[in-house]
Amino acid sequence: MHVPDGILPPAVAISGYGISGGITWYCLKQIEKQNNPQAQIPRSSLLTAAFFVASSIHIPIPPISIHLILNGLVGALLGYYAFPAILIGLFFQAVMFGHGGLSTLGINGIIMGVPALFAGYLFRFRYLFKTNKKMLQNVLVFAIGCGTLLISAALFTTIVLTNISPDFNSELERNAIFISLFAYSIQAIIEGSITVAIISFLERVKPQLLEGN
Amino acid sequence: MRSSFEGYANLSSPIHQWEQKSKIVALLSLIFAFAFVKELVLLPAMILVTASLYILSRLPLSFLLSRLRYPGLFIVGAILFLPFAVGNKIIFSIGFLEIRQEGCLLVGLITVRFICIFTVSLVLFGTAPFLSTIKAMRSLGLPNILIDMMLLAYRYLAELAEMLDKMQLAMKLRGFRFKNLNGRNLNTIASLIGTLLVRSYDRSVLVYQAMILRGYGYQKYNFKNNNKINKISYFASIITLIIAFSLIVAEFLIV
Repeated sequence: MHVPDGILPPAVAISGYGISGGITWYCLKQIEKQNNPQAQIPRSSLLTAAFFVASSIHIPIPPISIHLILNGLVGALLGYYAFPAILIGLFFQAVMFGHGGLSTLGINGIIMGVPALFAGYLFRFRYLFKTNKKMLQNVLVFAIGCGTLLISAALFTTIVLTNISPDFNSELERNAIFISLFAYSIQAIIEGSITVAIISFLERVKPQLLEGN
Repeated sequence: MRSSFEGYANLSSPIHQWEQKSKIVALLSLIFAFAFVKELVLLPAMILVTASLYILSRLPLSFLLSRLRYPGLFIVGAILFLPFAVGNKIIFSIGFLEIRQEGCLLVGLITVRFICIFTVSLVLFGTAPFLSTIKAMRSLGLPNILIDMMLLAYRYLAELAEMLDKMQLAMKLRGFRFKNLNGRNLNTIASLIGTLLVRSYDRSVLVYQAMILRGYGYQKYNFKNNNKINKISYFASIITLIIAFSLIVAEFLIV
């Protein structure tokens, strides 16, 4: 779900950098307002590296396999650090493996990072549910994992297909968006389920990890 | 996990001698100038500039080809899809499939633009140690939090990848085979990721304590880059910026 170099018109790529820069500035301002923000830097950095590594795990859906994106979980655990963390992850992927690209780093940051920030906001609402209503908490976490990926997929397909060429057949464009979203919805269900399982695991094993957001 | 993109960072070539800060500014400008190109007439110039840079960098061709393999899949997808989906002028038809001229030209434009930008990115990051790149970014004014996060994440990437490999090997030795997608397997994978996150968190607590002991947060960084720009860097930056600017001007003039 990374837009590679050379696909988008420069106006979109440059706007992507502008918007990403603005969102990063806002996130950094919010981070600076926190009590001792420096203490969170090693935690966020190592979790960024852990998410980067975890995204290499392949999930088999015969005859293909997919890799996890986990931007909902990144948002839930890192809060305002999620956007810079995702930008760093995308930068590493572009430099190390050629996934995505340098000119499209800003737009890819928006595709992955903005839904992650929303996931962070939503995750704070889980405290509204009473502890005995575990089911409701799980539904919320599933919605975060699943919804985040679907929003990213919708942004990705819409940005790519509407900008690739003005000559693109509009009916075909609409159909392609729906087909892509259907394919991504399968991955979204898997991401939602895994997010629920990971959050449950962390609640049992290391609840402090969930307190950073 | 840590890819071998730094494998040729210490060669001796004019591009390797180019100071990283000015190299980032000049080559990023060139990348954006390439992204501006829509006119097919300008593609040979782009290829020429890219090939010259790559030859000057003395990076082996196998390095480029091996790294093009995965991102090239997206381009293959574009080649298979766009000629049938974009444009009105049909140049060839097989049954219900109609190949259109505009789609074929678009594939050519996207492919050349992609390969040129990818190659320039490789020259930019493959001809200097990653630490130099991060230092250069700091001196270019990237926020400290981003730089610190980037440095720490990069430092622990290989270590966490090794940790994941060991855990996956241990799972295999215990008989886990992830061939089918079911709830039990997903739970096992979730526990694997959860364990990785917990270990990373525990590690980060120790890292922070070690950083505090070394004075992290109590010293003011000197972000000024003391490296004086050498002649090669100066000329290379000027020439690259002129090429980038010329490409953008040519694009507007041709339109």
